[in-house]
Amino acid sequence: MRPRHPLHPYWMLAPTLLVIGLFFLYPLCVAAKDSFYRWDLLTEPEYAGFENYTRLARSGELVGVVGRTVTFGLVVVGASTALGLALAILLNRRGRVYAFFRSAIFSAYVVSWVAVALLWMWILDADAGVVSRAFRAVGIPTMNWLGDPRSALYAIAFVTVWKITGYAMVVYLAGLQAIPPTLFEAAALDGAGPMRRFIHVTWPSLRPTTAFVASTGLIMSFQAFDVVRVMTQGGPVRSTTLFVYAIYEEIFVNLRVGRASALVMVFFVILILLTVLNLWAFRAGRRMKEAT
Amino acid sequence: MRRRDVLAAGAGAVLAGCGRDDAGGVPLWFSYGGKNREALLALVDRFNREEPEHRLSAVYQGDYFELLAKLRTAIHAGRAPAVTHVVAEILPYLAHAEVLEPLDSIAALQKDFGFVPELTQNGAFSGDKNRPVYALPFNRSTPIAYLNGSILKELGLAPPTTWDELETFALAATKGKEGERRYGFSCPIDWWFWVALVAQAGGELVDADNRFILGADAGVEALQFLQRLVHELEVMRPPSGRDYNAWQVQNQEFIAGRVAMIWNSTAFVRYLEDNAKFPVVCAPLPKRDRFGVPTGGTMFVLPKAKTGRMPAHWQEAGARFLAFMARPDTSNEFATKTGYIPVTRAGVELLETSGYYEKKPNDRVAVEQLRHVKPWPWNKELFRVQREVVQSRLEACVLSREDPMATIQAAQHVIAEGP
Repeated sequence: MRPRHPLHPYWMLAPTLLVIGLFFLYPLCVAAKDSFYRWDLLTEPEYAGFENYTRLARSGELVGVVGRTVTFGLVVVGASTALGLALAILLNRRGRVYAFFRSAIFSAYVVSWVAVALLWMWILDADAGVVSRAFRAVGIPTMNWLGDPRSALYAIAFVTVWKITGYAMVVYLAGLQAIPPTLFEAAALDGAGPMRRFIHVTWPSLRPTTAFVASTGLIMSFQAFDVVRVMTQGGPVRSTTLFVYAIYEEIFVNLRVGRASALVMVFFVILILLTVLNLWAFRAGRRMKEAT
Repeated sequence: MRRRDVLAAGAGAVLAGCGRDDAGGVPLWFSYGGKNREALLALVDRFNREEPEHRLSAVYQGDYFELLAKLRTAIHAGRAPAVTHVVAEILPYLAHAEVLEPLDSIAALQKDFGFVPELTQNGAFSGDKNRPVYALPFNRSTPIAYLNGSILKELGLAPPTTWDELETFALAATKGKEGERRYGFSCPIDWWFWVALVAQAGGELVDADNRFILGADAGVEALQFLQRLVHELEVMRPPSGRDYNAWQVQNQEFIAGRVAMIWNSTAFVRYLEDNAKFPVVCAPLPKRDRFGVPTGGTMFVLPKAKTGRMPAHWQEAGARFLAFMARPDTSNEFATKTGYIPVTRAGVELLETSGYYEKKPNDRVAVEQLRHVKPWPWNKELFRVQREVVQSRLEACVLSREDPMATIQAAQHVIAEGP
């Protein structure tokens, strides 16, 4: 199909390009420039060269934030992907009961983050929370889940998994339903049991879906903010200060536009790398599927 | 217009609302909920009835620190409110940035309001007393101790007046096994309470040249004391959450009877009295070498309008409101509904002579404690030192048992590096 005028495709793309340029590229360029300045919004900016980057690196803040965010991302992606797949396989059946459970599990994904965070703060309360009471009732030692630096990051990761697993399940359900039933029938005729059918038919067919679920989950977990803001405010002892929260803290608490901008640039590079990884995984999955 | 102005204007518009006319009233930004919010809104209504030509519109802007974030952005964008209140520790920085109107240059405020000296800008800050006045006292406080009266009676103890007595009380009041334990003491691991401990241990935040030393040995001893209560004696459980979330969590634990004594702002006297099912007994903070507390709460300021960006009559409306709030009757109304300290001497005398303090002895504790107030240093880095340098290190030191000496030295090192 050829456009009637050579400029037509560009006119069609113009609204999207305008939005991307105005709300993404321009702010990114501004952040890149501001990352070389010391600025507190109220007094004149001072040129600082690479000082914002070197101070972030030297203070250990960058390593700490990246380490916590990666740990959080791996826990969230690993658990939500595995649980989403398991639930999809379990609930990929006809019937009202299965439909009810599918809807119930997915509903957590559409509830607001603030509501989810408040609910789980109550559940995880060290004294009156359901979790601590249940542990105490069966004689298992409990702890201050959100107030202890050893457990707080995993507690908010758990809440995030609870919330986004429904999304992973729905994507896996779509992936499962796209696998031709003839493949399963052929495998069954060849004598493959349920486990072998999963290993040799289901899993290879779901590789692109897994790549998609994992990469979107990773990006979602890297963007976590609301859950931290409501449940822990980055504490205790900065143990839940993830990337986006660290940026928020630098600019709105510490009055450091320059250092926050430097964090934004590092975050941007990490997200680019994640996107490349995503594309690579997606293409590799597609190639393997074609090969089988 | 520069690019930064364009961006900041956009952000300010989003944060502050788009209108610059005062069809909805002259904006007053405030930052708290609950009883304090009700008390302020009642006074704003009264002001609007008394002076309808200056109709104010009170706009909630989150907690103190959220309000500050929005205020800075809005000031830069030239979209600041006519009047707002800010935590005292940020005053030197805002004054240095020249974004506040000197109040002593405004006709409506050129009179002696008879404020309680310790609560004014000059009383709350050390150093040069001839600097312009940028702030008037509003909801001013000190930290005080709240004790569960039933437990106090059960143990036959008096409120502790020294660090040693605090340990004794906390040990006696702590009971129950892990997980179901009632703790003797709780206090947020927070700058404000640490500053009180530093003062009690005989330390100063700055040296004679106004350079931050963070209490030196006293700063270390304050951290050691908290570590001992949490880890060695196991009589203190710091509340979860940070900033004011932790303060609220602690209040809930106190009301639920899970903590026998807490340190918190006098701002919560009315709230805790109304919600606890046991008698609440307030007491001054104890001493080690001496008694000492910082002031807290906020002060009213008028953001400086960039030329032509703020309607001309806003400043007058803001000043009239400040004068209204400085009256003994209005400041007393706010104080008695909340627990904050009445800001005028006449107001305090009125409560004394009317028998109010006799009926409500908890309200008097912070007033009497004012004689032990340690002023803040007037240093433009004060807020940065508080929020960025000290606050996060306190938590790490107390909860993760980091070396107190190394903590203070690391903080001093970061301060020495400069902003």
